[in-house]
Amino acid sequence: MSSLRILVSFKVTPDFEALREADWLAGAEDDAADGAETRYVRRVLNCFDESALEMALRVCDARAERGSATSLGALSVGGRETEPYLKTLLALGYERAARVEPEAALDFAPAVTASLVAGYVRRVDHGDLLLLGCRSGPGDSGIVPFLVAEKLGWPCLTQVIEVEPLADDRVRVACMVDDGLLRATLRLPCVLAVGNAVVSQLRVPTLTDRLARRDKRVDVLSGADLGVDIAGELGRATCVLTRLETIDRARRGVIVGGKTPREEARVLFDSHLKSLIEKL
Amino acid sequence: MRFATILDGTIDSAAQQARALGGFLREGLGGGLAGETLVFYQDDRDKKRLVELAPTRGVRLVKTTARRPERMAETIAGVARDEDVPLFLFAGGPGGTELATRLACRTHGSVLTDALSVEVGPQRLLCRKNVYSNHMLGRFELTARPWCVSIDASWNDGRSPASLEHHVLSDADETGCPAETTFEDLELVDLPSTGDLAESRFLVVAGLGAGNRQGVERIAKAARQMGAAFGVTRPVAMNAWAPMDRLIGVSGTRAAPQLCIVAGASGAPAFYWGIEKAGFIVAIDPDEHAPIVRNADATVIDDGLVVIEELAQIISAERKHD
Repeated sequence: MSSLRILVSFKVTPDFEALREADWLAGAEDDAADGAETRYVRRVLNCFDESALEMALRVCDARAERGSATSLGALSVGGRETEPYLKTLLALGYERAARVEPEAALDFAPAVTASLVAGYVRRVDHGDLLLLGCRSGPGDSGIVPFLVAEKLGWPCLTQVIEVEPLADDRVRVACMVDDGLLRATLRLPCVLAVGNAVVSQLRVPTLTDRLARRDKRVDVLSGADLGVDIAGELGRATCVLTRLETIDRARRGVIVGGKTPREEARVLFDSHLKSLIEKL
Repeated sequence: MRFATILDGTIDSAAQQARALGGFLREGLGGGLAGETLVFYQDDRDKKRLVELAPTRGVRLVKTTARRPERMAETIAGVARDEDVPLFLFAGGPGGTELATRLACRTHGSVLTDALSVEVGPQRLLCRKNVYSNHMLGRFELTARPWCVSIDASWNDGRSPASLEHHVLSDADETGCPAETTFEDLELVDLPSTGDLAESRFLVVAGLGAGNRQGVERIAKAARQMGAAFGVTRPVAMNAWAPMDRLIGVSGTRAAPQLCIVAGASGAPAFYWGIEKAGFIVAIDPDEHAPIVRNADATVIDDGLVVIEELAQIISAERKHD
């Protein structure tokens, strides 16, 4: 294979840890299950997708050292909030960057997201390797990679932690499976869903990189461009969120006092831990 | 109404799958249902052991080759089509997620992963699962049958399955069926066991409050001094301050120690899921508004690293004294 085409599909999500307790409570009171109000919260890259994006760059680097060309593309199903991330990826060397305007809330519609990603691969970016995170919030379903693989008829491995490009149209992959760490060689095309990889942080582009690629544009597509009737698929959804509830995890919450760390540790031990540790 | 549980006996986690499915059938599945287990096996020598693991009395055996999820999904789809089984239950984890999803695709059914409970309603399946990174509980309705559901990993709670008198209903050989995907040069690598985390009675967990790799190493040393297992939160592992196999939480190990001390972690729900079955939780964190404070049994509002080192000295001294 002369040039390897890699597409990474990623999601930008609200930072759930930044939400206030009141917002979760308000989300739970909503009978229509619209979800929690997250519009004001800062956005972050889904952590598994961030690994996938960096992993693709490293595959590109490894192939470049061998004199092989790689063409990188990035796709996100999301609104304008994804564009800064797509522009960053263009600055980092991704050649193609696109977002699909979701037209409706797709947070709990993984089947629609999978249709859009598969539609993009079929109609726009005929890649050899599709990388994406193994799961993302708020639905946390983990099914999108397998749905895309089924729609494309491609093999799929999940919980991928390493990808090594081989000389021909194959990749060597390490992934966590239910019974250990599996290493396997796959023939392309294939779908790889990235899990708890050590490669976890996307590199940062330099100002020079940004200036050099500032004219590259982000393509904005609709469901119709990809042959997907988003409203129709949502209407035919077979797994529907009907209600959200808060989870009460509260325990006793006794505050242990003391003037110094040593005194606090002593009070903690005498009041709570001594008898527990004796029974261990 | 009938259901089928799926046990993938071609891989080493069959006992854990059976334990989780058994617990779910006892406590997570609504009443009035009768089921059987579809057991995939690779080696005839494993058959007896796998049948005994099955969480239902009725067992169907299918001999196949390991690492062929598409082939397994096709076999299960045949059962769904030929025998009109409306509900299929899979163990949690990547394998169960993959099989449930592929089955739903191939049968035009519906899929839900990580279910905490399911209940059959009129023409639909009512399910509960955690969403928003464990911040909230979602109620879902599945309409199209078969309902393909993988259960939450929390069902693998370590209790022994109920003893049952099993009946083998059929034994099919599908080893000759072609695979859809060919993996070359398969190699299963033994990993360092994380059993010390999952089965620990006393666990110490370090969060980002440790400050840096050295801080995490000092908390690990304090844990060793106290005779506790040592784990970390996801941000600590992502910063490479500790190995990934020490990760506690949704994407790592779920532990159920009698005593758990959390030092320098705010207690995000995705992490808390990994310790919520602990008997007694101590939090040490300088932020009195951190979620871990109200979700712990006892809290010290102070620097986690400093306090846990003091605590380790006290516990070591007490042990020497005894």
